[in-house]
Amino acid sequence: MFDGLTLLGEGLAHFLTPTSLFNVAWATLVGIIIGVLPGLTATMGVALLVTLTYPMQPDQAILCLMCIYVGAIYGGSRTAILLAIPGTPASAATTLDGYPLALAGKGGLAMGLATTSSALGTMVGIFCLVLLAPLLAEAAINFGSYEFFWLALFGVVISGRMTAFDDPIKGYLAGLLGLLVAMIGMEGLHAYRRFTFGVPALGGGIDLIPAMVGAFGLAEILIVMKKRVAARIVDASDRVVPKFSELWKYRRTTLRSGIIGTIVGIIPGVGEDIGAWGAYAAARRNSPEREQFGKGSLEGLIAAETGNSAAIPGAMIPTLTLALPGSAAAAVLIAAMFIHGIRPGPMLMVENAPFLYQVVAMLVFASIAITIFGLLLTRPLLRVMTVPRERLMPVVYVLCVIGSFAITQRLFDVYVMVAFGVIGFFLREMRYPMAPLVMGIILGTLLDVNLRRGLALSDGDISPFFTRPVSAAICTLIILSILFSIPVVKRRVTSLFTKTGRAAASKD
Amino acid sequence: MQDNEQTKDHMTRADLLTGGVILVLGIAVVWLSWNMPRLGTRGIHPATAPGLVPGLLGIALTFCGGILMTRSVRVFGDSAGWIGFMRLFTTPEAGRVAATLGLALIYALVLVGWLPFWAATAIFVFAFIVMFERGFVVSPHPMWRSLLTAAIQAIIVAIVVTLVFERGFLVRLP
Repeated sequence: MFDGLTLLGEGLAHFLTPTSLFNVAWATLVGIIIGVLPGLTATMGVALLVTLTYPMQPDQAILCLMCIYVGAIYGGSRTAILLAIPGTPASAATTLDGYPLALAGKGGLAMGLATTSSALGTMVGIFCLVLLAPLLAEAAINFGSYEFFWLALFGVVISGRMTAFDDPIKGYLAGLLGLLVAMIGMEGLHAYRRFTFGVPALGGGIDLIPAMVGAFGLAEILIVMKKRVAARIVDASDRVVPKFSELWKYRRTTLRSGIIGTIVGIIPGVGEDIGAWGAYAAARRNSPEREQFGKGSLEGLIAAETGNSAAIPGAMIPTLTLALPGSAAAAVLIAAMFIHGIRPGPMLMVENAPFLYQVVAMLVFASIAITIFGLLLTRPLLRVMTVPRERLMPVVYVLCVIGSFAITQRLFDVYVMVAFGVIGFFLREMRYPMAPLVMGIILGTLLDVNLRRGLALSDGDISPFFTRPVSAAICTLIILSILFSIPVVKRRVTSLFTKTGRAAASKD
Repeated sequence: MQDNEQTKDHMTRADLLTGGVILVLGIAVVWLSWNMPRLGTRGIHPATAPGLVPGLLGIALTFCGGILMTRSVRVFGDSAGWIGFMRLFTTPEAGRVAATLGLALIYALVLVGWLPFWAATAIFVFAFIVMFERGFVVSPHPMWRSLLTAAIQAIIVAIVVTLVFERGFLVRLP
């Protein structure tokens, strides 16, 4: 307990230097601008800017990327409120009440509340991160190959299920395609080259960063350029700084949304957008003003913004303790950590415990920075929104090319980026989510190696995969998750517990 | 309402095609995995053969591809619907995607590596802005203004990006 507090204090003190504070300032601002610009997402921003962090010290590099992540998720709310277009997918729920508020002349207040809610949401998530991460890391130390195999599969399956709620098979397919991509190249047990078809460059496998830059960069550019017109910005000249009474009135909503966002963040591969929707739905269910939701409810706006921001520290819990990305952007962060020689996973608390608390400090500084910039830079951020996409997108694409080339300095990675951009665009057009694909790519090796290592340990016997308590529990969760995505099963089970469900089932 | 129905119909047709592609991919992966060496001569346990996981993934892909095809197969014989579906590729939106993709491919696959990076970047940025400001919209500004501002932005982007990445962040450019 006291060790944790000491490490937390050291983590905060570690970044109280002019260089660190300068990095917090520019990276958060860049993140907010990325979030504000429609078509640029947090994942894309983090993936593109990994390039900039190569010459930096590991702690400063991750500090910058974390600030970009937090800034971008927050920045998306600006565009959602003033343009009715979510700056990032995480702000989709914010649009529902933010835009009506702006139309009613309360755009400034909406922006102010979005800022404070984002900061408070991050704080709730940070509290859970400090509390849960060491416990989870301690428990995970006893995990073996059997458990890690199921965890990797769980990450892909649950991400597929939650990000493609209407059509889970598309989520599962995206995850399977990601896992298949991870199979390309030399495998980890016997050094055999799989699916390389004689191409030497494929021997090392497909790097995550170029694939992500393609799937989130080029694909996003194609989607943005496909649309015909840009929306008009709503005027927002009312007060931006919210009153304390406005924040206090919705304290329960803030806390509930923060906890929901954090829990959603902890679920592997399920990011901030689902955190916002979950918090929004819970707030509407529990609100005495629920008829106002969707028409300009302050409570709805607060719930959505708290939920999406709380999902960031939530996502860092499995990311740091299990190396299981809590969101797509966290997957890029894992790749960046490996590039900088930091090994997330159960051994992190043993090998590099201060780093976990440094991440907490990074999130604290980032949330302070979004509050300051969000409340002070209203006008300059409005200007950013007016940049025409015809002028912005070519610059973004140039950064995509540099970002994919810079890691290994091979043109092959640029071709990988282009291929993933084209595939990602078509998959998105057909409503396949991208998060399970990313989860598949990053978890493929973990799944493959641990399944075969486990089988080698048990001499080909598969029973330890089902009889060890943690393995059995994760396996049950996976089976239930898949079964519940089959409409007939879901209907039948629902009918057992509800009156209306029973009526619907009897009609079948 | 009618638009919604049409979008649903298009999605079903896209699912049928994708399901077919995934089914074929799944079968190919299973076949390739089956033919991977089992490394028995090296005394390796057969359960750890390199083809095990890809083979399982291939089976799962084949299964999911099959489901996707089966649930969309009802639209297979409706030729009028397919004509409507093919029209998706001739809309102005498709034109904008094709133009963006064309420029992106020319830049990444031809210009980069063939010309110095700054020159390739300047040409790409200029061509992109001009194509979308003049080719796809009726611009309220005169042509010379679009060309001039596009050229200025192209030169600024090329110089700034090259200097910032090469000198500032010590990143080697293609």
